[in-house]
Amino acid sequence: MSDEIVIQTRALGKVYRDFWGRQKVRALKPLDLEIRRGEVFGLLGPNGSGKTTTIKLILGLLFPTEGEALVFNKRATDVSKNERLGYLPEESYLYRFLNAEETLDFYARLFDMPAETRKKRVDELIKMVGLDKARKRQLQEYSKGMTRRIGLAQALINDPELILLDEPTSGLDPIGTREMKDMILRLKEEGKTVVMCSHLLADVQDVCDRIAILHQGELKELGRVDTLLTVADVTQIRARNLSAECQNELRDVIARHHGELIEMDNPSTTLEELFLSIVRDSEARPGRRANVEQSTSA
Amino acid sequence: MILEEEILPYFQWLWSGSASSIGALPRFLLIALGLSFLGLVLGFFVAAARHGFLRGGDIVYRTITNGVRELLETSPRRVWALARLAMQEAWRRRVIVALVVFFIILVFASWFLRTDHQDPAKLYISFVLTATTYLVLGIALLLSAFSLPADFKNKTIYTIVTKPVRAGEIVMGRTLGFTLVGTILLLIMGVCSYIFVIRSLDHTHEVEIGSLKKVQNAAGEFIGQDGRTSRNNYHRHEVELNAEGEGIALNNYGHTHPIVKRGDRSVVLGAEGIMRARVPRWGKLTFIDRQGVPKQRGISVGSEWTYRSFVDGNTQATAIWTFDDISSALNYDNGEVSGLPIGLIVRVFRTHKGTIGKGITGSIQVRNPETGLASEVIPFTALDAKIDERIIPRKLRGTDDKEYDLYKNFVSSNGELEIRVQCLEGGQYFGFAQPDMYLRLPDASPLLNWIKVYASIWVQMVIVIAIGVTASTLLSGPVAMLFTVSFIVLGFFRPFFVGVAMGTEYGGGPVESFYRLITQKNIIVKLDEGFTTTLIQGVDMVFKSLMLTMAQVLPDFAALSTVAFAALGFDVPADKVFQDLTICLAYVIGLSILGYFLLRTREVAR
Repeated sequence: MSDEIVIQTRALGKVYRDFWGRQKVRALKPLDLEIRRGEVFGLLGPNGSGKTTTIKLILGLLFPTEGEALVFNKRATDVSKNERLGYLPEESYLYRFLNAEETLDFYARLFDMPAETRKKRVDELIKMVGLDKARKRQLQEYSKGMTRRIGLAQALINDPELILLDEPTSGLDPIGTREMKDMILRLKEEGKTVVMCSHLLADVQDVCDRIAILHQGELKELGRVDTLLTVADVTQIRARNLSAECQNELRDVIARHHGELIEMDNPSTTLEELFLSIVRDSEARPGRRANVEQSTSA
Repeated sequence: MILEEEILPYFQWLWSGSASSIGALPRFLLIALGLSFLGLVLGFFVAAARHGFLRGGDIVYRTITNGVRELLETSPRRVWALARLAMQEAWRRRVIVALVVFFIILVFASWFLRTDHQDPAKLYISFVLTATTYLVLGIALLLSAFSLPADFKNKTIYTIVTKPVRAGEIVMGRTLGFTLVGTILLLIMGVCSYIFVIRSLDHTHEVEIGSLKKVQNAAGEFIGQDGRTSRNNYHRHEVELNAEGEGIALNNYGHTHPIVKRGDRSVVLGAEGIMRARVPRWGKLTFIDRQGVPKQRGISVGSEWTYRSFVDGNTQATAIWTFDDISSALNYDNGEVSGLPIGLIVRVFRTHKGTIGKGITGSIQVRNPETGLASEVIPFTALDAKIDERIIPRKLRGTDDKEYDLYKNFVSSNGELEIRVQCLEGGQYFGFAQPDMYLRLPDASPLLNWIKVYASIWVQMVIVIAIGVTASTLLSGPVAMLFTVSFIVLGFFRPFFVGVAMGTEYGGGPVESFYRLITQKNIIVKLDEGFTTTLIQGVDMVFKSLMLTMAQVLPDFAALSTVAFAALGFDVPADKVFQDLTICLAYVIGLSILGYFLLRTREVAR
């Protein structure tokens, strides 16, 4: 396995059995996968498709029934691989009686960090995830979004090369979702490898370089997002300030070349864009009704 | 002091053991080796059944090699981080409630503990120490059994095991964290209970002026006064005062009071000797039967408890203790009396009432085992089951009526001395066990003894924590708790458990016992010979083998407890403390290794 391949699975499969060893469900059919250094890789699929099982097998939280998973060329059950990875679980499973500082300090100690480095890193991360004002509050007082943020901070405590994110945007509001996606892109810019699994298609589309689509425990599609989403026989033109005459001319040109005009219309923005514009405007001009007409109609 | 097992010197206990058992270390290694082999075989069969022989073998090999590697990679910082977390968790789970319960027990204990008891110190000390033991063991059980399962249930374990944390560190961290919490609790309880016992038993009296009678010497000179004190705390003392009005309130209810002169009054000060730490030096006990034949044991009077054996009165039957390393350095001399201080406990068995209101008389005689020179007999009245502290005079008359020196004439050239005890009344019996006579060395500090007893409670607590944490690596909280409770209960009755497994207890094994129960046959009745009995005993053989195997790892909680030492006023020997600490270390090491493999082979996200 070359150094460029961070995760490799070879015919990795998982069957859940009952106490007597009888097969209950085949959660993952033999899966061959290679995830390269520096890419954002998405595991996509509906609930119960085997995404989380795959992540857990890669982390060594589950043992494979067949095949094997290698992380940094080490077996998934080898604890030493954890030195270089960070993991954000589906829910932020943290100790709710600790505050943000104590939480990060605890996880930093697990990486055997000396006190000075630990203090610096904890401070950096708390500021990075925007919890500076809540650093002394117990996690049980945190909102869902704040809990996710501290969860992300613990996943980054060791400045990992590989970050595994299980449903990173689940439970987040649109601002939190956007911040999470921006964070993933920033990590990518820093050269980190990110593996995320999600059933929120838009999130995956926004940040992933490559995706694997799983269904009923089976790999159905694997490739680059831009390649997979390109519709080869359809051409899209986007222009600004076209008059009605010009639009009619374009229709004629398409007809002359035996093309089929599918749609020529004023596009609408996404609800996410609209919401974020309103929030930005509200923050810029507090107490006034939002005025986002221009920006959204643009 | 009841001591069913002799306390061996530490290194003898560790390496070579007693005549009937091997040393603790070889025993530990043998058990560890046996269990490792058993675990290996079992692990291989489970892995082979799931993944086939080749892959199963590979998995077992990798698990062991990884285990050794990860053990060497253990990081103290990670262990400490996990221990701190365990402590914070314990605090969050309101471990402080244990202290509140303890204080409530202390506050209301005085309502129920009788101060008119013949030995109130024994009652108070045993009550306080027993309450502490059960409370601390209960807390240790709850903390250790539920912690890891809660992590699994809340899935917080996901964020731990995805860090470079070794399974062994998780087990060690929990054990250390809960041990520290328990240690803090024990420290607070130890200090409070010590103050409680001292304060509860402390009292004073007044000298009853009307009871004082002048004492004169042979020349008719006034030398002091005799009298008694007022009755407080359900007792009074005889008083001896000198000519200056100072003196002592004599021993009663296990203590004395000094009396000093203040102004024109004799004032009785606080009690002395309520808490003691007698330092005994035990000898070897042998017997002579009624016909004068040497025996290893005396006779049985039908008691099921065979700890003591008996000598019959007004015969040649004698109990003989042989002490070694006797020298005049052991001599006690306060100016008035000089001699060898001894302690004697006699268990009296009467076949008739004897003289009403009078104890059974016996005799003590010292003898040089080398020369055969024996002293004249020293008569005494047996204080049944109480400690009779006396001094064998330094100057003794021999059977030839000449005066001899105890150390020069009755001690053999190799430092041995025999002390022989007989019962003088026909039809009455004296029962003895080896620890029933001892040479009394100067008392140790009761406070230090208190600390040693708490150390033994600490040892029991750590063992319970180690068992609870190890069980919780595999089992759910309630099941881990039940498992640990079973271990503790069986541990407290270990001798009986071993007796059943070895077939030395009446009533057979578990199946036979159940069969006797439902067929209403008592434990002595012989079962009818036939297929059913053969089948029952055959199945019991299997059970007994399993029980015997289990007994090898069962902690003997009753033997670990030293409450009786403090309650009866004996110093806990340092050898015993070190032995208990070593046993504790062995359990922690063994259970941590077991816990590591159980956790390592468990699917965390299952």
